[in-house]
Amino acid sequence: MELGEALKNKREEIVSKWVDYTLSTYQSSAFFLKEKDAFANPVGSTIRQALKKLFVLLAENADPKEFLAPLEQIMLIRSVQEFTPSQALAPINAVKHITRAVLAADKQASGLVGDLYDFEFAVDLALLSGFDIYMQCRERLYKVRIREIKTGSHILTDSQCPTALLNNIRNENSETVKSN
Amino acid sequence: MAVPKLEQLSKSVVQGPSLATGAIPTRDWMDIPVVFKEGNFAYPAKKEKVEYLNSQKGLHFPNAREWSPEHDDWKLPENWKEIILAGLKERLEKFRSLKIFMDCCVRCGACADKCHFFLGTGDPKNMPVLRAELLRSVYRNDFTLAGKIMGRMAGAREMTVGVLKEWFMYSYQCTECRRCSVFCPYGIDTAEVTMMIRELLHLVGVGINWILEPASNSNRTGNHMGLQPHTFKDNVDFLADDIENLTGIRVNHSFNRKGAEVLFITPSADVFAEPGLYTAMGYLLLFEAIGLDYTWSTYASEGGNFGLFTNNELMKKLNAKMYAEAKRLGVKYIIGGECGHMWRVLHQYMDTMNGPADFLETPVSSITGTRFTNAASTKMVHISEFTADLIKHGKIKLDKSRNSHVKATYHDSCNPARAMGLMDEPRYILDHVVDWVEMPENTIREQTFCCGSGTGLNTDEIMELRMRAGLPRANAVKYVHDKKGVNMLSCVCAIDRATLTSLMNYWNPDVRVCGVSELVGNALVIDGETRGDLDDGLRTML
Repeated sequence: MELGEALKNKREEIVSKWVDYTLSTYQSSAFFLKEKDAFANPVGSTIRQALKKLFVLLAENADPKEFLAPLEQIMLIRSVQEFTPSQALAPINAVKHITRAVLAADKQASGLVGDLYDFEFAVDLALLSGFDIYMQCRERLYKVRIREIKTGSHILTDSQCPTALLNNIRNENSETVKSN
Repeated sequence: MAVPKLEQLSKSVVQGPSLATGAIPTRDWMDIPVVFKEGNFAYPAKKEKVEYLNSQKGLHFPNAREWSPEHDDWKLPENWKEIILAGLKERLEKFRSLKIFMDCCVRCGACADKCHFFLGTGDPKNMPVLRAELLRSVYRNDFTLAGKIMGRMAGAREMTVGVLKEWFMYSYQCTECRRCSVFCPYGIDTAEVTMMIRELLHLVGVGINWILEPASNSNRTGNHMGLQPHTFKDNVDFLADDIENLTGIRVNHSFNRKGAEVLFITPSADVFAEPGLYTAMGYLLLFEAIGLDYTWSTYASEGGNFGLFTNNELMKKLNAKMYAEAKRLGVKYIIGGECGHMWRVLHQYMDTMNGPADFLETPVSSITGTRFTNAASTKMVHISEFTADLIKHGKIKLDKSRNSHVKATYHDSCNPARAMGLMDEPRYILDHVVDWVEMPENTIREQTFCCGSGTGLNTDEIMELRMRAGLPRANAVKYVHDKKGVNMLSCVCAIDRATLTSLMNYWNPDVRVCGVSELVGNALVIDGETRGDLDDGLRTML
């Protein structure tokens, strides 16, 4: 049996364990695992769907650019949850260990463990991209915050009376005009 | 399956600083303390705002001080525990609903997975049942026989500073959206449990600034922004100028005009902040198109009522000004703009707090003759009801093609949908003004998901929390964006317009947010207009 074939045969088992591991990082992992409706359980279903997509790409040795879409789905979620960056990213790496263990446990496939170098390298690349995307998500979040502040909603709480502010601006303007 | 390295990997990552997530709980929920750190709490109310509110007649906001949730010492009054327990006793006697909600929950769990905070965080204390249990456990301990005798075995626990801190953490991780209540077989209104916890916390000076400052502004100048009458007027006048530049129509609006038929009240954010501004332009155009005899008020210049997020006394006071102003101006009835919680206060509490408004008349549209008997008691009609009625009677001319740049979906704003049953009118309007599609069934109408930032939680210091709480809503929008090409999320709530904008900027940056009335304004055909080709409707920059 070739490695590609083995990964295809074992795909369901590996992805299922990968999803289990990733969702075990949540306190309510049982619910996130159980509920299948994508709209009643966005965290569980998005992660399940994205990891499935990502595994196929990793197993096929696909162009690393294709990893970005599923990784973004996962990182958008995990970068706003209460994880440290390493906690947010660690599940991506987990697939290496899971794949090794699953292949090793199967008599017919155990000989292929030594051939996993390319697969694991692909996981490394995915992990590195994951860090980039994690940061992009955080930066997007900061921009959202800045935009909110710039559009004026902060005036609700973080400023003096807006009427007084507007008056001050007008007064300053008129003084500038006078001094000119 | 034992995978040694994986276990190690797992161990090394779960032993990080995260407490709310990242670890399988090994202790009972009562034994897991809350940990406050920058980003997971909203900033406490400023001392001077609390002092101001406390100085107002009929209001009680004691223990003004500088404090931080991150510090061990919250500078509570010495007798804080007696105050809390006496406050709970008083409320159990005063509000029969609270007593029932404390007693009748059988912990069936139907609500558990319905909360957007739970779905976004996975934190069990965000299950509505457990959030209510935070209060219920204290109730059992001090107010039930079983709790007094059996203590923890009966789910009871003593009120401690740790419990109080837990109340603060989780009553401000609830937007009082009431989605959980839809699924409760007993009809427990978990939002009211949150409201009670927040009321109790205010008794010892624990509250957040994003709520108390707008509330004190509203008490002082009539609106959350603290805009004084001339500034409020200027802002509406600016919008009228913009409308003239865009459409050639000079709208004929007025302020504080005695004898007008209708008083129009909307959230102040509509006349102040994007994208609400465009919704306000929609109102102005609509009223101009039908020649409505109406007035704005610079005193009742706020539809929102942050008292709802604070305590019933403040809610009553802020609500009262609408009716005081309606009485002063001598109008026949009130039209309310696209606001969320204003409608909850109005439909569920106004009558018992300040009503009945018997000096007003049951609203009758002077354009169509329709009598709004649904508003017979409150005398206040929702702008969507009013607009849908105009469309039904063919009283306004609409050109749907003017919204051809928009593919919309509709977010049922929690309070209008669940607290007043306003679900079909906005949809009827959308059918006539724009090409639009529904989001998945379990995310709309009475099952709608909250924006994640309601009840005064739309403050930027808790942005991550807001984003994860808004995930279920954003996830449904993403679906219609990906599958149906939706580029606009319409709604009928000012807080939604502000918070969904941020939510979309994070989760679905290609989707913008608007009020239903903005789409009406875009599509309206008015005699005498010189409107060019506005490729972005009322948002077009000239």
